[in-house]
Amino acid sequence: MHSLIQLSIVVLLLPLLSFVILIFFNRRLPRRGDFLGVGILGTAFGISAYIFWSVIVQTYDPAFRIAWDFTWIDLGNVPGVGPLQIKMGVVIDNLTAIMLAMVTLISLLVHLYSTGYMAGDKNYGRYFAFLGIFTFSMLGIVLSDNFFAIYIFWELVGLSSYLLIGFFFEKQSAADAQKKAFLANRVGDIGMWLGILILYSQFHTFSFEQIYANLAAGKFALSHGWLTAAGILLFMGCVGKSAQFPLHVWLPDAMEGPTPVSALIHAATMVAAGVYFVARIFVLLTPDALHVIAFTGALTAFMAATIAITQNDIKRVLAYSTVSQLGYMVLGLGVGAYSAALFHLLTHAFFKACLFLGSGAIIHAMHHEQDMRWMGALRKKMPWTFATFTLATLALAGLPLTSGFMSKDAILAGAIGFAKVEGGGIYYLIPVLGFFSAMLTAFYMGRQIWLVFFGESRTHLKPADDQHQDHHAHAAHDAHADVHHEEHEVHEVAWNMRAPLVILAALSVFFVYSPDPLDGGKGWFMKMIPTPATVVGEANHQIGDLRAPVAAPALAAVVPAIEAPAAEAGKHGGAEKDAHSYADMRQAEIIHAGHAAHFTAIYISSIMVLLGISLAFVVYVFNIIDPEKTAIAIRPLYLFSLNKWYWDEIYDATFIKGSMLIANILSWFDTHIVDGIVNGVATLVRNFALLNDAFDRNVVDGMVNFTAFTINTTGAMLRKLQTGKVQTYIVMLLLAVFGYFVFYLTRLIY
Amino acid sequence: MEQLTTIGLNHYLTISAFLLGFGLFAVMTRKNAIVILMGVELILNAANINFLAFSKYNGGMEGVMFALFVIVIAAAEAAIALAIVINIYKIFKSVDVSSIDTLKE
Repeated sequence: MHSLIQLSIVVLLLPLLSFVILIFFNRRLPRRGDFLGVGILGTAFGISAYIFWSVIVQTYDPAFRIAWDFTWIDLGNVPGVGPLQIKMGVVIDNLTAIMLAMVTLISLLVHLYSTGYMAGDKNYGRYFAFLGIFTFSMLGIVLSDNFFAIYIFWELVGLSSYLLIGFFFEKQSAADAQKKAFLANRVGDIGMWLGILILYSQFHTFSFEQIYANLAAGKFALSHGWLTAAGILLFMGCVGKSAQFPLHVWLPDAMEGPTPVSALIHAATMVAAGVYFVARIFVLLTPDALHVIAFTGALTAFMAATIAITQNDIKRVLAYSTVSQLGYMVLGLGVGAYSAALFHLLTHAFFKACLFLGSGAIIHAMHHEQDMRWMGALRKKMPWTFATFTLATLALAGLPLTSGFMSKDAILAGAIGFAKVEGGGIYYLIPVLGFFSAMLTAFYMGRQIWLVFFGESRTHLKPADDQHQDHHAHAAHDAHADVHHEEHEVHEVAWNMRAPLVILAALSVFFVYSPDPLDGGKGWFMKMIPTPATVVGEANHQIGDLRAPVAAPALAAVVPAIEAPAAEAGKHGGAEKDAHSYADMRQAEIIHAGHAAHFTAIYISSIMVLLGISLAFVVYVFNIIDPEKTAIAIRPLYLFSLNKWYWDEIYDATFIKGSMLIANILSWFDTHIVDGIVNGVATLVRNFALLNDAFDRNVVDGMVNFTAFTINTTGAMLRKLQTGKVQTYIVMLLLAVFGYFVFYLTRLIY
Repeated sequence: MEQLTTIGLNHYLTISAFLLGFGLFAVMTRKNAIVILMGVELILNAANINFLAFSKYNGGMEGVMFALFVIVIAAAEAAIALAIVINIYKIFKSVDVSSIDTLKE
């Protein structure tokens, strides 16, 4: 076993250890054991950083991959299935190494931050235990080398998310939100499991490597449509976990959880797991499946951005922004901009975690005020938060010199290239939606910054009854309840909440990733995470015939990165390589076109971002356009956005009402038909029993009584013969002997 | 007339039958326990006559032997029966068999 594998298993198990210790013993430990959680995560991060260093910095090989597995459950020869072994394993490649470091770093920072944010909560120890199990599950997803293991950890992540969203479970809204999140995730997970089963039915293995090798060798016996279906079903897991349309509804509600949890789970890691999973299955996605993914991502990005511009809750704006950015990542994978999408995953994880932790600091300082309408003028009071929040906002909006700029532009360039290769038309909708969402992102983040940090403090403007209600809602924070002052005294947060903000903000700057602020492609990330060669062998001949001769010579020069995995796939496939070379060609074309569109994307997106920021300035800073009057002027659109496109209402009217209706019908069926049958049978049985009873009483008992009566009567008669006088008996004896003689003699005579 | 003049087996058997009849009659009709015992003795002696008669006409000594046994046993029986009668008398102050019916019911 490679030493890095051993270390990665240690990293995986450390948070589990934290969970086990804290869930059982937190009340016996000083400070409820929070130092243990932070310390263990610190160790895990240290080891992960070493793995990152060994893999990315020292090895620096795009095709780096080590794996190790063992048979977890051996069911032997199952009848009807054949030999069934379930394996567990660990794979470390560049993506794993980066994700490992990212997850443990953000988890560590969130642990540290929570020691300030959650201080005094009555379930303080349990909170850290839950963070531990979440980190364990997330690392499990990152390290798994097969579908079965990843599915287990996938569900564990869903469970930890459920536990953490409902951490303040005394609040009805939190309890509802956790239920909603769990159910929405389950819908996606069902699809994912079906997808896994399609693949398993063909190859009798769960291992990524073996399935892809078999696919590359053309051993998929079902039709091409089945492979597309498998891809889309697997993508459904991502739709649920990464809050893509149409299962995005749970993520904004998940903001009921503690804010550090929102930063860790609902911004940086868990929701990124869906994107990570699609990246893992990227090579088996057919062009059709990729189109579905691309359109889902584009629609999600646009829809969430339009909703975010009207939300007033500081965390909800960020939540919709997260949904929108996840849409970008999914869009990126769908258009084949694999490296860019994962690059955005990484950069987004840092700046969005920073934004959430910043909003947590604001909420903490404002004594659980979350409505941006009643904030304002926090710039002077919270300089650290202001600086880091602004830097992360610039990264999210995608201004040059930030990490978000590079990754978002790489995705948009990929989208333009994709639209070109696919032949334009409707496919241009994807980059157009992407650019438009970029503008909206800049606008709503500008709005947020202005409302929160600039202008006059509007705390006093809050309606009194609203305030009261708000305090009541947060009664769960009993430790905070007693520090509510008459006048809110806002101050900067302590060092343990400030340090994570600074670290995360520093990771949102361009030079961490690439020396050239305009081109992420020159950075280590894009070099280390090349697009893997697809293993799908079906050709779309129409475009292939048109483009292949043109693209082929340029291919080797522009994208040498994809050569290594392609050679690996060729090793498995051999002769079949030529049969599916078209799929590689299409991929290469898209990458090539994406590179060509690089500067176009930069220009358009910069213009869009500046447009968005200018609009925010025009509306909120210079007050040239009054937002309230505008809202009234375009009231239907405003309400459409404010009410989140009415998705909750639609689901309520269709799925919830529908399932209630079905439940009512079934309930009626139960009470009337099923119970009717049961009652009918019972009546029948009862009547039969009554009949039986009458028979027993009259006939059977009658016979018994008659027998007794007969015997009694006979006995009474016979008793008279028993005189007790010897002489009577002798007479009878004589009579009997005489009778016998008579009988015997008559027999003799005749 | 030879049958009348010569005493043969039939004469013995007839006597025996009469004796049996008298015995039975006494046993069945008398109420005095001692008279009943006497009736039983008559029945036994009727049997003895039969034994001796058949023994005489068939030759051999078996009938005689049986008759001797019957006499011995009858003596023993009479002794026991008389002892019982004496005890009954002690208890019931009577030897009337019709009044000795406490086993009835």
